Amino acid sequence: MAGTLELEVKGLDFYYSGNVHALKKINLSIHKNEVTALIGPSGCGKTTLLRCFNRMHDLYPGNRYQGEVTFQEENILSSGTDLISLRSRIGMVFQKPTPFPMNIFDNIAYGLKLKGIRKRDELSERVERALKHSALWDEVKDKLHASAYALSGGQQQRLVIARALAVDPEVLLFDEPTSALDPISTSKIEELAAVLKKEVTIVIVTHNMQQAARISDKTGFLMLGELIEFDTTEKIFTAPSEKLTEDYVTGRFG
Amino acid sequence: MTREQFRKAEGFAALALSTLAALGGLFWLVFILGDVLVHGLKALSPTLFLNDPAPPGVEGGGLRNAFVGQLLITTGATLIGVPVGVLGGTFLAEYARGKSISHIISVLADIMVSVPSIVIGTFIYAVLVKPVGHFNGWAGAVALAVIMIPVVLRTTEDMLSLVPWTLREAAFALGAPYYKVITQVVYRGAATGILTGILLSIARVAGETAPLLFTSFNNSFFSLDMKQPVSSLTVTIFQYAMGPYDNWHAQAWAAAFVITIFILVLTISGRLLIRWRYK
Repeated sequence: MAGTLELEVKGLDFYYSGNVHALKKINLSIHKNEVTALIGPSGCGKTTLLRCFNRMHDLYPGNRYQGEVTFQEENILSSGTDLISLRSRIGMVFQKPTPFPMNIFDNIAYGLKLKGIRKRDELSERVERALKHSALWDEVKDKLHASAYALSGGQQQRLVIARALAVDPEVLLFDEPTSALDPISTSKIEELAAVLKKEVTIVIVTHNMQQAARISDKTGFLMLGELIEFDTTEKIFTAPSEKLTEDYVTGRFG
Repeated sequence: MTREQFRKAEGFAALALSTLAALGGLFWLVFILGDVLVHGLKALSPTLFLNDPAPPGVEGGGLRNAFVGQLLITTGATLIGVPVGVLGGTFLAEYARGKSISHIISVLADIMVSVPSIVIGTFIYAVLVKPVGHFNGWAGAVALAVIMIPVVLRTTEDMLSLVPWTLREAAFALGAPYYKVITQVVYRGAATGILTGILLSIARVAGETAPLLFTSFNNSFFSLDMKQPVSSLTVTIFQYAMGPYDNWHAQAWAAAFVITIFILVLTISGRLLIRWRYK
C-alpha cells in the first residue's frame, strides 16, 4: 500500500538552544492517507521530530535544524517557508486539550477566520461539518455558545481535533493526544484517527505501544535522538529487524 | 508550669496579640469610614452635584465643577495610562519574555509603584506646567497616568504570564501570526485579571491629591477645558477643609464621602471580578 509521498525527512539533525543534539540524521518517509506512529522511550526525540513538521521549534530562539524535510517535494526547513500557510496545511493536536477561552463555536471558527472566512453561513456550515467529522456534533449541537471549558477532557480533545480539521489540513500531527484521557475517550479518538486517514495524513506520537499497533500503518522507533527502525507497523511489532526495537516493543525496557 | 501549659500559654498570647492588632486596625478603619459617612451624608444634597461653588463666605452652592473635573482628569489618566500599561505589559510578557530588558523594566516598574506621588506631581510640573506657563487639566491627567502605568504594566505582565504556553502554541499551530495570538487568544485568557488591574489602578489614582496640586490645581468655575486649570474633588477637599467657612467644611465632608464610595465600588468590583474568575 505505497501511497503518494507526503512528507520526507532527509538527514535531519536538530539542535535545541545550547547546542543540545536532539535528533541525529533522521531519514523517513510519510505517505499520504496513512497513519504513521512514532514510538520510543521518554526523551528519545519523537515529539521533537513531530514538532519539526510544523516548525513549532521556531517559536523558541536558539533552536536549529540541519538537513531537509520536504512536504510535497518542497523543503519546509528553508528560510523562505511561509510558516503561517505551512501551519494551516499541517495541523497539530497537543497532549493536553487546548481549547481557547471562548465558546465552542468560536473555537472551531478561529482557524477559519484566520483564513479570512467571514460569512456567517459558511462559518456555521464548516463548524458543523468539522464537529460532525470529529464525532462531537451530537454532544454539543445544542450548546455551541457555551464555554469550551465546560466540556470534559475527552470532548475538549475532540473539539481541538475539530478545530484543526476545520481548516482542511493535509496533515495532522498528534502529540500523545490520548495520554491525558480515560480509556473510553481514548478509544473514541483512536476510532476517529482510523476514519480521518481517508482524508488526511496522520503522524502520531504515542507512549502507548498498543495504541501504535492498533491504529498505525507505519511505525518509527526512536531512541536517544536516532531512528532505530522504521517499517510497517506489523513488521515492527511482530518481526523487528533490530534487537533494540524488539526489546522495546516486548516491554523489556522503556 | 509544665512544658505543655507553657506552650498553651504561648499560643494564647500569640492569638491575643494578633487579634488585638487586627481589632486595632479595624477600629481606625471603621472610625474613619463612619466619620466620613456621618458627616458626609449630612451635607449630601442634590444641589451639591448640580450647582457650582458660591462665592467664599456665601451659603449654598455645590461642587459640580469638582465632580466633573475629577471625572475628566481620571478619564484622561485612564485613556493615557491604560493603553501604555497594557501594551508595555504585553511587550514584557510576550515579545521580550526571558530577555534581560524585560527583567530590568519589571524591576523599574516595581520601584515606580512606590515612588511618592508628590514626586511625580513635581516632575510633571516641570515638564508640562512650567513650559506651558499655567496649571492645566492635561498635566493632572498625565501625572495620574504616570502613577497608573507601572501598576497596569505589572498586572498585565503577570496575568499574561499565567496564560499557559500550550494555549499560544495551539494558536500558532493553526497558523495564527503572533499579534493575533496575543489579541485574540492570550488577552481573552487574561482579560479578567487585566481588567481587575485596571480597575484597581483607577481606584488608586482617583484618590490622589498631591500630584494634582502642582498640575491641574483647582478652578472655582465650571470648566471642561483641559488646557486650563481643572477642579478635582481631592484638591477641593484639601482647600475646603483648610478654609474658614463651615459650609466649606460640610461640602468637603460630602465630597470625601462621594469619592470614598467611588473608590470603594471600584475596589470591590475589582475583587469580585477576581473571585468570579478564579472560582
